[in-house]
Amino acid sequence: MMSVTITTILLFLSVLVGDWLSSGGQDAKGQKKDQPSYYAAVFLNRGHVSVGASSNIGLFRREVDDTTWRNIYHPNLFTFSIGLWQHGLTRWYYIAGGNGLHRSTDGGESWRVLTGWQTEEILSVALDPIDSSVLYVATPFGVFRSTDRGNRWEKKIKGMKKWFVQRVIIDWRDRRTIYAAAEDDLYRSRDCGEQWVALGVGVPGILTVLQHPINPSVLLVGTDNDGVRVSVDGGKTWKAGRGMPQTAFYALRSSREGQTLYAGGYKTGLWKSEDAGVTWLLIWAAPEVEAIFSIFVHPEDSRHLIVGTSGQGVYESLDGGRSWKSAGLNGAHVKQIELYP
Amino acid sequence: MGLVSAMKRFPAIVCLILFAALFGVSRGQPSFEQRRLRLIDVVSGERDRGFFTVTAKFVAGKDKEFALQMLDSLTTDESIGGMFYSYAAIGCYLTLHDQLPDSLNCKIRRAFRERTMYRGDTENHWVMYYTGIYLAAQTWPNEGRSQWFNGKSSEENFMEAEGWLNQWIKVSSTIGQGEFDSPTYFITFITPVLTLYEFARDPVMRKKAQMMADLLFADFAVEHLKGNYCGGHSRDYPEDVINPLAAPAALWAWLYFGEPKLELWQETRFRPRHRGGWETVIGAMSSYRLPDIIYQIATDRSKPYVHTETKRVRNVIRFGLEKNSPVYKYMYMTPHYALGSLHGGILQPIQQHTWDVTYVSDKPNNTIFTLHPFYSGKELAMFFPEEQKFLADEVDRYHKVYTNPKKWNSSSPYEQTFQHKNTIIVLYDIVKGAMHPHIDGFFPKNLDERIEDASGWIFCRAGPTYVAFYPLKPYQWIEEDVNWRWRSKELKNGVVLEVGSSDEDGSFEQFKQRVTRGKPEFQGFDKNLTVQYRTRSGDRMKFTFNRERVLNGKPVKLTDYRFFNGPFLQSDRGSGVVKMTYRDRVRVLDFNTVTVKE
Repeated sequence: MMSVTITTILLFLSVLVGDWLSSGGQDAKGQKKDQPSYYAAVFLNRGHVSVGASSNIGLFRREVDDTTWRNIYHPNLFTFSIGLWQHGLTRWYYIAGGNGLHRSTDGGESWRVLTGWQTEEILSVALDPIDSSVLYVATPFGVFRSTDRGNRWEKKIKGMKKWFVQRVIIDWRDRRTIYAAAEDDLYRSRDCGEQWVALGVGVPGILTVLQHPINPSVLLVGTDNDGVRVSVDGGKTWKAGRGMPQTAFYALRSSREGQTLYAGGYKTGLWKSEDAGVTWLLIWAAPEVEAIFSIFVHPEDSRHLIVGTSGQGVYESLDGGRSWKSAGLNGAHVKQIELYP
Repeated sequence: MGLVSAMKRFPAIVCLILFAALFGVSRGQPSFEQRRLRLIDVVSGERDRGFFTVTAKFVAGKDKEFALQMLDSLTTDESIGGMFYSYAAIGCYLTLHDQLPDSLNCKIRRAFRERTMYRGDTENHWVMYYTGIYLAAQTWPNEGRSQWFNGKSSEENFMEAEGWLNQWIKVSSTIGQGEFDSPTYFITFITPVLTLYEFARDPVMRKKAQMMADLLFADFAVEHLKGNYCGGHSRDYPEDVINPLAAPAALWAWLYFGEPKLELWQETRFRPRHRGGWETVIGAMSSYRLPDIIYQIATDRSKPYVHTETKRVRNVIRFGLEKNSPVYKYMYMTPHYALGSLHGGILQPIQQHTWDVTYVSDKPNNTIFTLHPFYSGKELAMFFPEEQKFLADEVDRYHKVYTNPKKWNSSSPYEQTFQHKNTIIVLYDIVKGAMHPHIDGFFPKNLDERIEDASGWIFCRAGPTYVAFYPLKPYQWIEEDVNWRWRSKELKNGVVLEVGSSDEDGSFEQFKQRVTRGKPEFQGFDKNLTVQYRTRSGDRMKFTFNRERVLNGKPVKLTDYRFFNGPFLQSDRGSGVVKMTYRDRVRVLDFNTVTVKE
């Protein structure tokens, strides 16, 4: 009896391994198992008509050793940003998009919209690093919080003077502290969004916010018309990033250890700072690129950079930004690029 | 379900069509019944792919095989989808599923499982999307999350759609639509509302849909003149702005109001765009019947009247103090023309039409108006969440003309109006450095007369309608295809316009003489931005840009405007009760109790 059982198990395993090998070690969505992939949030694509359908927008994935991006979620979804909550083998992927906040708990096989009509468009999502029940989203009508994995949402705008919030992030040092990049200022809440206080950046139109990965008191914001503003004292005082144009900066990113920060925006090219955002140097003029919407720095190799552009897909550099090549998603507005398992 | 029962009475429909064809036209204006059958007949002969065409072919019993091929293509073509798809697909299914092969029924069901029904980002998108989701969830209840494209169960989808539709109906019946009175987008509201009316099983939702259809038609009716949707509009396509009978709403007017008395799809002079998706056939196939009182309101132009309304600004997400501040509308309607206006400023992005005079004519382009062709990323960013430096380009990619200095639709923060009956003062205070620093006026070439008088007035005549137009500043004429473009490049600027007719003024000469007795006063205009004018009827108007409007010495308070106020429609803003009046008849829509009394 036992030998039959063992034989059955071995046979079953051999079938599984055989299937896995014959598929090139890929799952149903074409992802190679146990290997991270690049994910890109594509908001629009030139030529896309918003009321129809298009396979050129949505969530795209590219294997690390491949050059082809594949749309892995139903097309026709404006995708503003993405997120991953990971604990052990549990991986929940999030899409913040036109129809709301989507979550996949099965590696992208299926997705569920977590929000309803009250939240309208979801511009970004922040995930509590410990408690998977707690989610924050930025919307045109303020910050919404869920404490039950997205089943119910509460609007959290007490203390905010303006309601448009482009981005929300969680302080990596204190998960009760939340930052919201809003129309008039950068706001901070120290109580999970219950009460917000404006930090007084000094210029309006805060589009994005970055907290330094090593020094949590260093905060940077990208603004709509006034370049990058930097605070080295936890938001008490702010200064303009030196050497940069005073225009729109949409993207801020840090290398894993925080030695190098990157910034890009509207007709800015790509800038880097090696002193926590105080001074900046242009490393790629990128005259052919109208705007940089997103920046990715490889966590294992900080010389490997990928930028997402406005309507020109993604560009990639393997030498720290000295040379660049077009790397797919032609025509796409790429709002975020991540490396996810 | 009228449509379903109509299907069962198909042979009778054929007889009716034949009857209509044989006797309707020869006996003069066809009845609604004849018009609707005629439309079904016409659309059922169309070859353009669409759910409405498919449905019409089945209802008329024409070309069924071809219709099935069309439907198969519609359900398998991944290049189409979204909110337009969702409500049309489920409407088609609910009408025809008894007659469709199982494979096609399954394909329609599968579309709601596998295709992303994008919700969109405008009011009309959401009405279409949630109507589709509501009816689909109602049709396939008790199905789990894996059976729906959005991972929500049937119950969850139904509750969400029901919640939003209830909210939309409440807002629309108390403070008005954001995309209000649109000759172009009327179809994107009335078609899903009629679909909801036809198929909602919940009697309360069905009643609400019926009341919303009444409200949409009544709102149209008071500003309707012989097929034209007159006055200021939240959104209008440029080709419809300069040729009102080209607008899709005109075909709905033909179907329900019987005006114009033309089969518009055959009238190439109006360059009709109604053909499009043939949405109007949904009205023709619906069991909804327009209350006669609305028909009378739409067509009785025996007496001139003033009608005012408030609507709401589309959702402002940034650069504003209020999410939905009021829009103030004014309309003066006569048998020959209508002069109507919004109070001005940015009330809508992209396609606002602030004011016009529209007159009855058998010629196209029967309208005169001015505008400042403003555009800015910031304006768009007030309403859309994308980066403002890209919005203008993105909008241009779809709507083609947004940044065009010659465009014929635009909101502008530098334009305001003050209307009293058949007179309007339009003022402009364009800041230096603004994009396209000029104002344009549309004057059709086919006017019977256009005369530049030594008094400074420009007089126009179109049949029995007379227009007097007084520019405050120098201008030039630019000849174009169908019109003369009146253009003035002065930044601080304005026009005064009076409209008359043979009924009011006798001859054109008499009109001119009455008008030239007066002249706008605007000394020191560049500093005080003030115009005073005594109309030919003796009313004294004084208007200062960004400040007060004064009529006969008394300030006009726009904030006093009711939701609807005129001889035919009355409602207080926020009340949810709309009263229709025609002679001794009254119909009351009470959205609070979901009741109709007549």
